[in-house]
Amino acid sequence: MSGASLKILIADDSPSNAKQLEILIRRAGHVPILAGDGRSAVALFQAESPDLVFMDIMMPGMDGIEAVRRIRALPTEKWTPIIFHSAQDGMGDIVAGLEAGGDDYLVKPASPRLLLAKLDAYARLLALQQKELGYIAELESWRLEAEEQSRLGAHVMERLTDAEGLRDPMIQSFNLPADTFSGDLLCAARGPGEVLNVMLADAAGHGLSAALSAMPLTQAFYSMTAKGFPLSSIAEELNRKLKALLPADRFVAASLASVDARNQTVEVWNGGNPDAAFVTLDGKVSMQWASNHPPLGILPDGLFSGTTETVVFHEPGQLVLCSDGLVEAEDPEGRWLGLGGTLDLLVGADDPQRRFAVLRDGLNRHLAGRAGRDDISCMLVTMLIERRRIPRFAAPMPVHQGHVAEWQLNLAFSAPELRYIDVVPAVLGFMTQVDALKPHQGTLFLIISELFNNALDHGLLGLDSATKNLIGGFEIYMQHRAEGLAALTAGRIGLSFLMHEDEGRAVLDIDVTDSGPGFDHEALLRDADLATNVTRPHGRGIALVRGLCSDLVFSGTGNRVWARFLL
Amino acid sequence: MQIASAVEGNKATLSLNGRFDFHSHRDFRAAYENALGESGIREIEINFRAVDYLDSSALGMLLLLREKAEATGKNVVLAGLQGTVKQVLDIANFGKLFSVKA
Repeated sequence: MSGASLKILIADDSPSNAKQLEILIRRAGHVPILAGDGRSAVALFQAESPDLVFMDIMMPGMDGIEAVRRIRALPTEKWTPIIFHSAQDGMGDIVAGLEAGGDDYLVKPASPRLLLAKLDAYARLLALQQKELGYIAELESWRLEAEEQSRLGAHVMERLTDAEGLRDPMIQSFNLPADTFSGDLLCAARGPGEVLNVMLADAAGHGLSAALSAMPLTQAFYSMTAKGFPLSSIAEELNRKLKALLPADRFVAASLASVDARNQTVEVWNGGNPDAAFVTLDGKVSMQWASNHPPLGILPDGLFSGTTETVVFHEPGQLVLCSDGLVEAEDPEGRWLGLGGTLDLLVGADDPQRRFAVLRDGLNRHLAGRAGRDDISCMLVTMLIERRRIPRFAAPMPVHQGHVAEWQLNLAFSAPELRYIDVVPAVLGFMTQVDALKPHQGTLFLIISELFNNALDHGLLGLDSATKNLIGGFEIYMQHRAEGLAALTAGRIGLSFLMHEDEGRAVLDIDVTDSGPGFDHEALLRDADLATNVTRPHGRGIALVRGLCSDLVFSGTGNRVWARFLL
Repeated sequence: MQIASAVEGNKATLSLNGRFDFHSHRDFRAAYENALGESGIREIEINFRAVDYLDSSALGMLLLLREKAEATGKNVVLAGLQGTVKQVLDIANFGKLFSVKA
């Protein structure tokens, strides 16, 4: 080893032999340490941890063979070459020396040239070992750093995904990471109108980098859901966010769903995930939503489509969302579970309440104890048809006491704004700033959205609610609505809110006017009366508003409605 | 994964063979960067006929290629789609992002 100086232990009971070796070693630029017998050789080895050892065999007390055996029994992290240097030249001695843990055997007297050449050869090997130990130390520090980053990532990811919403009794889910933690993200939350929004997102890759890609989604999903934005607007915002944050080769496949038990509808946006499916309680797959869009974070705003697909469900059942990790889960022979296999498991469960457990068991059997190659996640949303007409938050609330600040808000929207503004969440955003209205957020959302949608759908777009009665009618209705709205060029909707006190009671008056031709509102109210008793898809909205407000009055040609809400 | 490159007129073809996943990153980039550097080439065709699997990081590599190709005025065409490969690209709706040839 050129330059680097080695610490070399010489164990020899003959001072003259030791001296010879010592001089040679010193001349070669190394540092000798002397031991006169086996016992002190072991002690010096421990105290000085030399790089190389020359060991005599015949020594008083402990001989060289025993000393080497003891040295080799010491705990160590590096290899220290031991060269026997002995006058014993029998084959048996040489073999005994090597078997005790020696690396080499030189017969005394060895020529200085041979000794020097051996020294150089071992110096080269030791340099190699030094380099390797350096790599190992570097790897170890990388490993520790990666572990620390993973720990932090897992912690943040866990907090982000540990959403209150996932503990909803309607939801069952699992998320099995392929790495320390998952790049799959599950979210669920209820909107102001009691609609349940869920999201199952799967970021490209797995581990920390995938989790990092999915993180920006949570906040936007929760805040927009809480404000009552429609699913298509949420999808657009999530895409915008990821497109702005992620590099070109990163994206997030996602399925978003909005479950409305009151209107019995399921709305889905699927970009890059396996089919979402609806399985009825009696075990039929009644609907599959295939991926209709590229994943989130790829397309720029203008090209992205938040178009969703809404289906009315006529019987209770379960919505199933999953990541491709489930479909591509491999058995020991490399066969995928597949979408068919997944649905077969769900449908095959004898009791719909056990479907989730059956799927988990089936997946475990399929994987046969091995971890998935990718993150595996799945969410089951159980939907029962709600026959109740009045939503649960309409339970009696304490009457608002004391004085209220009087205020008024007037808004008018013309066709261009109506085409792209989510009017109801925007208005509600203001309402939730008013302390007195905060506890009534959900109810107000329902009232305002029913009155506004009535003005837009029937007043301006001239849609006929009776369409909803036909088979597949709801889908046709929604399609007509989207087409009508896109083509809307004229028309106006005015919203006016007045909060004040009337006969010592705080009230909110809501006035909605549209520029449409109006309609036979008396007939609608008759219908609405019927709708309180009969399950029918139209007139229900007005019946609901009537139930929630103290007064509801149509005027003009029916294009103006006034409602009073008691606080 | 093995990659065979061929140039014919203004078109470069990269024929992929095997499993297109995270480990193909360096090879795939090296293969397309040659084609991107040639100013005479207008179209880069990626042939998947002999690919038996591709994962999400492969999709990411295709998106990266698409972005770089657009910047140099080249068109990326996906060809020879079949089986699992076609299924994965369909679910991701890559037909809306790339030109696709049978």
